[in-house]
Amino acid sequence: MDARPLLTVSEVEKAFGGIHAVDRCSLAVLPKTITGLIGPNGAGKSTLFNIIAGLYRPDGGEIRFNGTRIDGLPPYEIVDLGLTKTWQIPHELRNLTVLENVVLAAKHNSGEHLLNLFARPRQVKADEKQWRARAREILKLTQLDGLANEHARALSGGQKKLLELSRALMSDPTLVLLDEPVAGVNPALAGSLMDLIENLRRGGRTFFLIEHDMNVVMNRCDWVIVMHQGRRIAEGPPESVRANATVIESYLGG
Amino acid sequence: MSDRPPPTSEIPWSGIVVFSVIGGIVLIGILSAAIAGATPKGILTNLGFYVSIAIVFAILALGFNLQWGYTGLFNAGIAGFYLIGAYVAAFAITPPAPPIIVGGVVVFPGHLGGFSLPLPVGMVLAMLAAGATAAVVAVPALRLRADYLAIATLAFAVILQIATTNLQSITGGSIGITGIPPPIQYEGTDAQFLNAMTLVGVGALILLASILVLQFMAESPWGRVLRAIREDEEATMALGKNTFNYKLQAFAIGGALMGLAGALYGVTLGYLSPASSFAPSVTFSVWVMVIVGGSGNHRGAIVGAFLIYGMEWISVQVRDQAVLGLAANYVLMRDVFLGLGVNALVALGLIFVLGRLRPGLAWAHPLALCRRSAVVRGVVLTAFAVYGVGWAFILVEQFAPSAVGDTIFYTRLMLIGVLLILLIVYRPEGILRERKRVLR
Ligand SMILES: Nc1ncnc2c1ncn2[C@@H]1O[C@H](COP(=O)(O)OP(=O)(O)OP(=O)(O)O)[C@@H](O)[C@H]1O
Ligand SMILES: [Mg+2]
Repeated sequence: MDARPLLTVSEVEKAFGGIHAVDRCSLAVLPKTITGLIGPNGAGKSTLFNIIAGLYRPDGGEIRFNGTRIDGLPPYEIVDLGLTKTWQIPHELRNLTVLENVVLAAKHNSGEHLLNLFARPRQVKADEKQWRARAREILKLTQLDGLANEHARALSGGQKKLLELSRALMSDPTLVLLDEPVAGVNPALAGSLMDLIENLRRGGRTFFLIEHDMNVVMNRCDWVIVMHQGRRIAEGPPESVRANATVIESYLGG
Repeated sequence: MSDRPPPTSEIPWSGIVVFSVIGGIVLIGILSAAIAGATPKGILTNLGFYVSIAIVFAILALGFNLQWGYTGLFNAGIAGFYLIGAYVAAFAITPPAPPIIVGGVVVFPGHLGGFSLPLPVGMVLAMLAAGATAAVVAVPALRLRADYLAIATLAFAVILQIATTNLQSITGGSIGITGIPPPIQYEGTDAQFLNAMTLVGVGALILLASILVLQFMAESPWGRVLRAIREDEEATMALGKNTFNYKLQAFAIGGALMGLAGALYGVTLGYLSPASSFAPSVTFSVWVMVIVGGSGNHRGAIVGAFLIYGMEWISVQVRDQAVLGLAANYVLMRDVFLGLGVNALVALGLIFVLGRLRPGLAWAHPLALCRRSAVVRGVVLTAFAVYGVGWAFILVEQFAPSAVGDTIFYTRLMLIGVLLILLIVYRPEGILRERKRVLR
């Protein structure tokens, strides 16, 4: 594996009032891996993802992505650099259609700039057409193509998860932070989603995912990081983490 | 046979309601003026005024719809941006107006400007001024939580209205600005009529242009980002959009439209006075228009403006014109309405029976006709409405012959309120609901 990490989090802190959700947490994600992040409820995993994606401002610490310092950058600049995250609780845009939700996630759609609408109408049309086609391809992968023109609010809980993943893929990211991507997705589809993720990883993408399903973590991840009370308490290949006494005590249980 | 589409028995109620209510407003307006003894030209002048002001409100509603219906930004200071547009345009297009002072007493305060610029220039300046102000007001507020925008804009509008009333040397104070030139200066006895007709034309043209440009902008990838922000700003940010920029753009463009409405308003009236035209109630009216008409689509905003302003307008019409004439012609009016209504309903009934009896005439089935043609829908409802008005005459005659006009006038706000409540309960998305954008 490549030695230089794609993402490094060092000494990152975030407190909500008295709760130290993330407490001087440091970790690294190597490129072209599927890295798992596990830990008990309330360990600070989702908060850490939100900090990395720029949605929360950390109280301290440093985050580098691909060598660039990204803590303090607004979310859209982080997406531009090639880092996208999905939400644990789906944030579907309810009154937009599924297809609109996905097309919206495209990164360079010239029609999203007001002046281009008037100055380059032809390019706007061409871009939009191209991104719609791309969005439909992605919806096929995530098996939502039959619902492309339904309102996103009409999706089931599991389908909303699939929409999250579809949108993340649409921005063509180098690193995808997936917050419980297959929670609530039926086992068959969850399996094929993880196959898809493995395929994409082979294509050069990196995945950093939070997951409570130990099957997914043990069988699909190359590396597992364990968080507890805002800190990283262990990391390693899945088998070694499963055998780690501290992890068993705090998370896996006897 | 199985792949035949299911029969759509759904009646397009929203269209029917819109057609018949606006038709009813126009009809009552015409009748009121006729009863008061207006000439046909007088009646048209009167109607022209309704249409012109409704157009002004429609443009305000379009601006607010872009801000709130599309982007989710709640502007509580619509009246302020409207005021800026009205005054900036008036400064630009009026002839010079120096103060008149007689023996040390200010008889006429005059006002800023008086540059005698052409109307289109005045309108562009109004849009620029109101749009820029909207951006300046919004920059600090948009960074904060959503509610702060409402508070900031409300405060802005109230302060502006008070300042306008008091900065006499700039704005003419509470006297306001008079002598705003119409688009075309007519002479002679028909001047008023011709002016009203010109204003309707100019207004319609501006409204049409606004709709076309807005449609082009808002139904684009850019507009899609606005709708995404309305749904969930955080999620939109996480999808890589600089939501602040989009909010600022939408707010400024909406503000510019409100400025345009202000410019048109000054020209339509020929004068400006800050006391009532730019009171917070203007803002509230525009909210109601967009909520009733249906947010997130341009047609809804326009329909809302014509409906709500129409209610306001007929309540005045009925009070000022109809009531006097009614007393004299009561029996005649009652019989005309009842007669017309009964005849129309009988005719429709015959068509219905024919449509039933003769399978070859299935197209004549009222429901089929209603579905196919908006005109038929309008006719059916107008027939019912006319018959209903005839009955209203009978009831009022029986119970409260002297109270017609005043009752309608003073209960108009109540009626609008009731309408709003019913709408929010039964149809929260408004009369015309935002349609789903099916992408190909
Ligand atoms: N916006 C917030 N405001 C206040 N407290 C918060 C906020 N977000 C998270 N917390 C707190 O921070 C802690 C960590 O929450 P976080 O959502 O990161 O947990 P998690 O590891 O993702 O848990 P789970 O596995 O249940 O999703 C919790 O105690 C939570 O209550
Ligand atoms: Mg979580």
